[in-house]
Amino acid sequence: MPMWFARGLRRGIVTTRYPARPEPSAAGLPTPPAFDAQRIDAALADRLCELCPSRALRLVKGDGEAGGDVLVFDVGACTACGRCQEAAPGAVTASGEFELAATARGHLVKRIPLAEARP
Amino acid sequence: MNSLTWFYAAAVGWGLAAAVALLGGSAPGAARGTVKGALRAACVLSALGGAAAVAGGVSSLLWGNSRVVSLGGAVVVGTMQLQASSLAGVFTALLGLVAVALAAYAPRYHEAGAGSAVYLAVYNLTLVAALAVFTAANVVTFLVAWESVALLCYLLILRHPRRDTVASGAFWFLALSETGFVLIIAAFVILATQAHSMQLDVIAARAHLVPAGWRDAAYLLALTGFGFKAGLVPLHVWLPEAHPVAPADGSAFLSGLVVKLGAYGIALFAFRLLPIGAAWLGLLTLAAGAVTAAIGILYALNERDLKRFLAFSTIENTGIIVIAFGAAMVFGSYGRRDLWAFLLLAGLYHVANHGTYKSLLFLEAGVVEHAAGTRDMDRLGGLIHRLPRSAVITLVGTLGIAALPPLNGFVSEWLIFQGLFQGFRTGSHLIGILIVLAAATLGLTSGLAIYAFVRGYGIPFLGMPRTRQAAAASERGQPTAGPGLLAAACVALAVGAPLVLLALSRAVRTVTGVALRPLLLPGNLTVIPAHTDFSAFSPTYLAVFLIAVTVVPVLIYLAGRPRADSVTVPVWDGGMVAFRPRMQYSAMTFSAPTRVTFDALYRPSVSLRRASDDPAGRSGPVHYETEVTPVFLRYLYRPVIRAVEWLADTVRPIQSGDVNLYLLYVFVVILLAYLIGAL
Amino acid sequence: MSGNDMAASGGAGPATGPALGGRAGEAGQEQRVAAELRARVARQFGRSLHIRTLDTGSCAVCEQEIRLLAAPHYDLHRLGFFFTPAPRHADLLMVTGPMIRAFGVAARKTFDAMPGPKIVVATGACALGGVYPADAFTHGGVGEVLPVDVWIPGCPPSPLALLQGLLVAVDRLAEKVAGLTFIAGAQPGEVPE
Repeated sequence: MPMWFARGLRRGIVTTRYPARPEPSAAGLPTPPAFDAQRIDAALADRLCELCPSRALRLVKGDGEAGGDVLVFDVGACTACGRCQEAAPGAVTASGEFELAATARGHLVKRIPLAEARP
Repeated sequence: MNSLTWFYAAAVGWGLAAAVALLGGSAPGAARGTVKGALRAACVLSALGGAAAVAGGVSSLLWGNSRVVSLGGAVVVGTMQLQASSLAGVFTALLGLVAVALAAYAPRYHEAGAGSAVYLAVYNLTLVAALAVFTAANVVTFLVAWESVALLCYLLILRHPRRDTVASGAFWFLALSETGFVLIIAAFVILATQAHSMQLDVIAARAHLVPAGWRDAAYLLALTGFGFKAGLVPLHVWLPEAHPVAPADGSAFLSGLVVKLGAYGIALFAFRLLPIGAAWLGLLTLAAGAVTAAIGILYALNERDLKRFLAFSTIENTGIIVIAFGAAMVFGSYGRRDLWAFLLLAGLYHVANHGTYKSLLFLEAGVVEHAAGTRDMDRLGGLIHRLPRSAVITLVGTLGIAALPPLNGFVSEWLIFQGLFQGFRTGSHLIGILIVLAAATLGLTSGLAIYAFVRGYGIPFLGMPRTRQAAAASERGQPTAGPGLLAAACVALAVGAPLVLLALSRAVRTVTGVALRPLLLPGNLTVIPAHTDFSAFSPTYLAVFLIAVTVVPVLIYLAGRPRADSVTVPVWDGGMVAFRPRMQYSAMTFSAPTRVTFDALYRPSVSLRRASDDPAGRSGPVHYETEVTPVFLRYLYRPVIRAVEWLADTVRPIQSGDVNLYLLYVFVVILLAYLIGAL
Repeated sequence: MSGNDMAASGGAGPATGPALGGRAGEAGQEQRVAAELRARVARQFGRSLHIRTLDTGSCAVCEQEIRLLAAPHYDLHRLGFFFTPAPRHADLLMVTGPMIRAFGVAARKTFDAMPGPKIVVATGACALGGVYPADAFTHGGVGEVLPVDVWIPGCPPSPLALLQGLLVAVDRLAEKVAGLTFIAGAQPGEVPE
C-alpha cells in the first residue's frame, strides 16, 4: 500500500490531455489505410477487394468522372487489419487518422477514383 | 360524566349487542332478512358501546382515578369492584376505538347466518370481559374477568373449527393462556396475602411494607404470567398459531387488544401495585423486551402467510412496549423519576398506536383474503389497482407500523428512543452500556421492521398479480369504513400528538406523581422529550411540512408545466422479451438476505431434488425447499411437553378402572383424614 | 440529434457527404435545423452526460475499450461523462455489436426507456454494418433497429477515438472524418475530381 502511493507520486499525472493537447501514444494506433490512386490499377483493386475481410472495399467500374473506376472505401467497416497494406505496400499506407467519428453514415463512405484506364 | 358511567354505558351497549345477535341471529327458522337485520343492529349497538368506552377511557386519562364501586358479589369470592383508573385509560380508549372499527367492519365481512350471530354475541361478551379486566379494582374481579376473556377468545378463534390448523391454534392459545393464568394467580395471591387485602388500591398503598423478596417474586411471576398473554419470547409460540386462524376481525381484536391485556398487567404490577424496585428487575424486563422485539421481527421476515407475518409483528411491538416499561423501571431504580414517568408515557403511547395500526392491518388482511381468495403473499400481487381504497388504507397502516414519519408509529418509537438515549444519566457506566445495547436492538428492530413491511406491502399490493385469483380480485362489497376509521385514527394520533401527550401526561401524573407536561410540551406544538437541551420536535409541524413538500411541487408543476410532449412507454423491465409475473420478487427471495445474515438463529434447512443428474436440469423439474427451524418449539416446548406426557403416563396407573382399587383409595383417605383430625 | 422532431428521419443530420450541388438550398435548410438541434443538445449535455452501453452481440473487445475510458489514463469523468446502468437515467446510448436478431426487442426497449432528448452512438465496425452482413442471425448493423446519431468506426475503436466520438456527439469537437479523403498524398478537404 505505501509503495503504491510512493510509485504514484514518482510517476506523476498519467492522464492524457486529449483533446486539449494531442496524445503522443496515438501515433502507435492501427488506423484505416490511405490509397495512392496513381499506383492502383484495376487488377490490384480487385485483389484488394477480395482480401478485405470486412467487405470495406468495393470496385465500381466506370463510375469515375472520366469513365475510370472508383474504389469505394467504407471507413466504417474497416477493422484496420492491415491486409491491404501487406498486399500492396507502396500503394496502400496507414492514414494515421483515428478521429473518425461521423454524424452521418455517408460521411464514412469514401470514393477513391483510380487512374484512368490507359487506352 | 363520571368515567365509570361511560363504562357502564359501554357494557350495556355490548351486552345488548350480544343479546340481539344471539336472539335475532340464531333463532331457529329466522328468515335471512331478519338475521341480517339483527346482526346489523347488534353492530350498531356494539359501535355505540365502543364510542362510550372511548369517552370513558379519555375521561379517565384526563380526570384521574375514579372512586371504587362495589357491585354485589358472593360471599365466597368477595364483591366485584370496579374503578376507572388512569393507567387503564389508554387501554379502554383503545378498546372502544377497536370496537367501533370492528363493528363497522363486521356486517360486510361475515356472512349472515347462525354461526356469525353466535360469533358476534361471543365477541361482544369478550368486549365486556376485557373492559372488566381494565376496570377491575380488586384481585378477584381481575382474575375472573381475565379468565373470561381467555375462554371467550378461545371460542372466537374456533369460529371455523373444522378448518385446517384452527383447532390446534385455539388449543395452543388456551393452553398457554392457562399456564400464564396460574402464574398470575400466584403473583396476585402473594401480594394480596402480604398486604392483607384484595383491593388493588390498598395493595398499592401497603406494597412498600411487603418484604423485597416477596415483591420481587410477585413481579417475576407477573412478568412471566402476563408475558404469556403479551407474547414475550420464549412464551410467544401460541401467537403465530392462534392469531392467523381466527376470522379477520377476531385476529384484529386479538392482536390489537388482547395482547395489550398482557402489557396492561405488566404495567399494573410495575407502576401501580409495586413501588420502584431493584435495578435488576428493570434490566430483566428490558432484556426480555429487546429479545422479543428482535426475534419477533426476524421471524416475521420469513412468513409467506400475511396473517402469520402480522402476528410475528405483534410480538415485535410487544417487545418494544416492554422495552419502554423496562427502561422506565431502570431509570426509576436510579432515582430519575422524570425519565421513569416519561418512558411509561412513551410505552402507553405505543400501546395506543400499535392497537390502532395492527387492527387496521389485520382487517385489511381479511379484505385481501376475501377478495383474492388467499393469504399467501406469493399468490398475490398488483392489488393496488384492483383494491384501490384498501391499498391506500393499508399503506397508512404500513407507514404507521414501520415507524415512518409523519405517522404515529414514528412518534412513539422516537419517544422511546429519546428515553433510551438518556441512559448516561443513571450515573452507572454498566447500566448506561446495557441501555445503549437495548437502544441498538431497538434500532435493529426498527430497520428490520421497515424491511419487513416494504415486503409486506410491496409483494401483495405492488407489481403484477402472480395468480389469476389475484388478478380477479375486486373491491365490490368489501368493508372499508372500519379500516378507514382506524387509518384516520393513525393520522390523528400523529398530527394531534400534542393533544395525545397532554392526555397521557395527565394520566402519568396520576399514576407516578410526576408532572411531565411543563417539561414535555413547553410550547403548544413542539415536543421536548425526556430532557431539556437534548432534542425537540413537533409532530404537527412535521406532518404539515411533509404534506406540503409533496403537494406544493406537484401544484407548481401542474400550474406551470412546460409544453414538452410526453411519451408513455412500458415499465423498464431490463429489456426482457416477455416479462412474466413469476419473474418478480417472491416474498421469500426478498427476505433471503436475512436468512443468510441470521442463519445462526434460523438454521434454515435446504432440500434440493433433481429429476435427473443433468447439471443443467434439462430433463425434469427441480424441487427446492427451505425451512426455518422452529427453535423454540423444538428445543423448549417439545421437551416440556414430553416431560408432561411422561408424568401423565407414570401417574395413569392410578386410574386403573378397578373398583376395588378405588375403594381402597377411599378407605386410605378416610383413615388419613381421621389421623390428621386426631392430631 | 434524436429529439422527437427528428425521430422519423432516423436522426441523420444534413444530407450525406459533402454538399451536393443542386440540392444546396434544401441541404442548407436541413443543416440549419440540425445545427439548432446540435446547439440545444450541446447546451443540455455539454457539461454532464450519462452513458448507457449496450452490447448487441459483440465480441466484447469494444466493451473492454469502453471500460478503459474510466481508467486513470483516459478518465472520461474529467470531461463530464459518466456511465450509468439505468436507461432511465441515461442521455446517450452507446451500442456495440452487429445487432443480432435475438436482441432486437431488448435494444428497442432500452432505447424507448430513455427519456428524450437522447443520443445514440454506434461503436465499432460491427455496429456500423461491416464485418457481418444481414442474415438469419443478425440485422447487420445497429442502424437497422435504432436511429443512430454518431458513428464511430474501429475494430475496436481506441479509447481516444471513443472520446472523440463522444465529444462530437455533444458538439464539443467538430467532426473531422467528413473532410478526410483517405487518398495518399492529397490535401485534407480537397475533393477529388
